[in-house]
Amino acid sequence: MLKMTHLQKVYRTHLIETYALRDFSINVREGEFVAVTGPSGSGKTTFLNIAGLLEEFTGGEYRLDGVDVHGLDDNARSRLRNEKIGFIFQGFNLIPDLNLFDNVDVPLRYRGYGTAERKQRIEESLGRVGLASRMKHYPSELSGGQQQRVAIARALAGSPRLLLADEPTGNLDSLMARGVMELLEEINRQGTTIVMVTHDPELAARAHRNVHVIDGQVTDFDDEPKLRREPGIGSRESLQAESVSP
Amino acid sequence: MEIRPIFSALMRSKVSMILIGLQVALTLAIVCNALFIISERLDRMNRPSGMNETDTFWLGSTGFGQNFDAKSVQQADLQLLRSLPGVAAATSVISVPMSQGGWSTGVSLQPNQRTSTASTAMYMVDAQGLSAYGVKLVEGRDFKPEEVVFRSMNDRGIPVSVIITRALADRLFPEGGALGKQVYYDNEGPPSTIVGIVERAQTPWLSADFIENSTFVPAFIPYGSFTRYLVRAEPGRRDEVMKVVEQKMIEANPSRIIGRVRTIEQVRVDGYAGDRAMAIILGAVIVALLGITALGIVGMASFWVAQRTKQIGTRRALGATKFDILRYFQTENFIITTMGLLAGGVLAYALSLWLMHSFQSPRLPWYYVPVGFVCLWALGQLAVLGPALRASRVPPAVATRSV
Repeated sequence: MLKMTHLQKVYRTHLIETYALRDFSINVREGEFVAVTGPSGSGKTTFLNIAGLLEEFTGGEYRLDGVDVHGLDDNARSRLRNEKIGFIFQGFNLIPDLNLFDNVDVPLRYRGYGTAERKQRIEESLGRVGLASRMKHYPSELSGGQQQRVAIARALAGSPRLLLADEPTGNLDSLMARGVMELLEEINRQGTTIVMVTHDPELAARAHRNVHVIDGQVTDFDDEPKLRREPGIGSRESLQAESVSP
Repeated sequence: MEIRPIFSALMRSKVSMILIGLQVALTLAIVCNALFIISERLDRMNRPSGMNETDTFWLGSTGFGQNFDAKSVQQADLQLLRSLPGVAAATSVISVPMSQGGWSTGVSLQPNQRTSTASTAMYMVDAQGLSAYGVKLVEGRDFKPEEVVFRSMNDRGIPVSVIITRALADRLFPEGGALGKQVYYDNEGPPSTIVGIVERAQTPWLSADFIENSTFVPAFIPYGSFTRYLVRAEPGRRDEVMKVVEQKMIEANPSRIIGRVRTIEQVRVDGYAGDRAMAIILGAVIVALLGITALGIVGMASFWVAQRTKQIGTRRALGATKFDILRYFQTENFIITTMGLLAGGVLAYALSLWLMHSFQSPRLPWYYVPVGFVCLWALGQLAVLGPALRASRVPPAVATRSV
């Protein structure tokens, strides 16, 4: 689904070169739930930006759903992003002047769907996160957890193959965080690949597989996900990777 | 098109939208009416006087000394003028069109008529008069030399033969056939016969409501010792002839002063100076208003772009292309401008009505407002283009930045 090989991202000024990612390789298979962890400044967000085609890389290879994204122009990247990827941001990034319906509608309009199809998808995705009855509400009228649910609905509305989550519970209290995490797990169970950047080890532990990044390099990963019973998360089964030194 | 969600979002922040909309509305109302006034002034300024303005000039002769004889000097001056190379025609005159000073009187169809049928300007000329003015005789004949009379300021009555403009003929005799008819310029005097009709000769007064009504009279009336001469040069020789005429006139008779030598083109410029000033001032007001409106739109759009950087990045992350972002801001401006223009259209016609009632100005033609719509739409789109392009360059990675 997402395959980066020896990827490099260098920020250059006339004085210095800073490697945000160095020889970065990762292979996320379809249906996986991968957590990317690491300290601040380790390159997690740069990885997420490149994975989400928000930024370009300076070396190596990146294939998204089989498409070599190197050299794609801005329009092609936007189209690919819109069709294949759903984003969940730490700060929710809802548009405050639009109601929930219109917020979820944003990526669908860029996809070019007709009115009837957009309406159906919006209602379905808001229903999926339990907010179908609040379509006419504005983000400011919702709690943080509800706002993140709207953001998830927005990400899901276009039926993306890959969901990229950037610290999805970073701005939520533990109760709301738990609810959001359960929702993500549910979405993953229904077949959507999820890559989640987090610095929360507890959340990371609930993913199929952990990738640890330090100084722009993958320092620790678990290549083969294992299934294990996780106590403390109700009776659900979850896939969690145990970190193994490469 | 994203019109509905953009409109909904705008309704959440009404103040900015109302301010810009109001500015657009006032601009449309004022610009439409100001443009109409300018257009009216330009039409006035471009009215043909009926004269040959390109080749003609006039000059004044002021005699001094107790024995100064205006009549003999006039005869000698005209003889001299007509003998100079490059002079096509010359005559003594009291006034010319657009000079803002001259004689006028009422014309009646019956003797002792209580109210005259029409008003007219009076141009006193000799047998070369029509040729010197360069007016076009369309019916009848020119004056004969023997018809020209010498009169003092106190003499009453008008010579028996007159030539009038087509407009005056139509006014006096709407059914036609003015040529050969008799009219009265002096209730108590004998009638005058219309022996010729010229196509056009405006009065000296640019704001007169009878501006096209003029009468040519075969007479010489000196104003004390002051006489004016109108000279038409051969085509293309006016400036050359002007210099020679001034010099020769002074040489021929040193007991007078030659002055006020001016082309009829200058007379036109001076006559319409007020209209020109009005057009320039209103033009400056229009430019200033459009500039302020454009700057207002640029300022507001720039503020919105800066305020919504994160939102733009999010839209890009969700799949918007650069063109989508550009189109978003252009559409937003289009909506605001359209709302302003709808209000401005009503305001423009209301302002026109007020001008009609207060200043008797004509009604604003209907097409000014739609043309104004198109112009202000274009201005709005152009003004917002810079900020919109800036917005389109916001990178999608902004969406994941925490600050």
